[in-house]
Amino acid sequence: MSAKPHRHFEHEMIKTPGPRLMHAVRLKFVQKRVQGGGGKAVNASLNLTSFIDFLIVVVVFLLMSFSATGEIPVDKNTKLPSAEHTVDMVDAPIIAITGTNILVDGVAAGSTRPIEDSGRLMKIDELHNVLKNKRETWKQINPKADFPGVCVMSVDGRVSALVVKSVFQTAAFAGYPNVSFMVGQIPKTQHGGGGGH
Amino acid sequence: MGGVSVDTGGKGGRRALDSEINLIPMIDLFICCISFLLITAVWSQMARINANAQVPGPPDDTKERENVEPEKMLTIEMKADDKFTLIWKSGATVHATSEVPKKAVEFSQGGGLVQKRYPDLAKEIENQCKQYCSHKNDDDKKLDQAILSVDNRAPFSDIIAVIDAVYASKRKFKGLDINQFNVTFSAR
Repeated sequence: MSAKPHRHFEHEMIKTPGPRLMHAVRLKFVQKRVQGGGGKAVNASLNLTSFIDFLIVVVVFLLMSFSATGEIPVDKNTKLPSAEHTVDMVDAPIIAITGTNILVDGVAAGSTRPIEDSGRLMKIDELHNVLKNKRETWKQINPKADFPGVCVMSVDGRVSALVVKSVFQTAAFAGYPNVSFMVGQIPKTQHGGGGGH
Repeated sequence: MGGVSVDTGGKGGRRALDSEINLIPMIDLFICCISFLLITAVWSQMARINANAQVPGPPDDTKERENVEPEKMLTIEMKADDKFTLIWKSGATVHATSEVPKKAVEFSQGGGLVQKRYPDLAKEIENQCKQYCSHKNDDDKKLDQAILSVDNRAPFSDIIAVIDAVYASKRKFKGLDINQFNVTFSAR
């Protein structure tokens, strides 16, 4: 059996069916779309615009909440009180009272027990010596600068005023008269009244 | 692959009309930034509240001593359970004494510690300051002095609540808001 001869249209009167619209647009992605042909493309491209938008929002949020001062080590059992009219933290020795221990930058510097036992204001000799050494070291490192005399006290909210005042007084005697108390930050109200719940 | 098409116009046979900007490096950069910021993020916001021990410096013999009238100071007595006593003194002279009921607004910020604030005390100090404070001018750097007379058994959170109430009073210094008072403790 002979093969059927292939028919040719001389004048191309009849064209292959297919999409005709948008062929004039000279953009690759438009051409690809309008050409059609076959099934669904094997390699699908994801729309990255929304993903990039999301990344930008996250980066902006994290940049706005970024703190260059770093994290301050606070004992997990210490429950700091909170205040509204606060200032930013400074780089200064941190005197922490945890339980009955007094620590200066994490190093033991006395106990609160003698103060509690005596029931009166006392100078804590060990703390005094540690702070005095710190001051001397600072002065050796910065011989021309004025000593700022700043220290930060990190004290649990339940500690008694007697202990706080004794530590405060000892720090002042050791050359740190500008004592700051570490506190949590509560949002500022308009007239300083009210309170968060 | 993700890209942005840029139509530059032109005809067939030449260089492609629409070029694509490669977005992968930008996404990589964003992911690196996010990772860095997340790792270095500080989630617990700590702040500080100032106090000053008011230790006088050594006497300067080269300077002639002037007879300066002692300034008015505010003493806040928080020894009673139900009230604060505000005393305005200069030296031994008492200018005014008033009492403010100890009305605390309690709140909790997590961690189980119930904290207090004293908005009434803050308001009263602010009102009295208008009459008695010595340093109010915009070019006056000095602060008025507030002395806390605290009961030895009082918890530290109460002291912070009172200091916070004192620092609610603000004034201007060279256009900036500063605290009206400097707080210290009574030695007794």
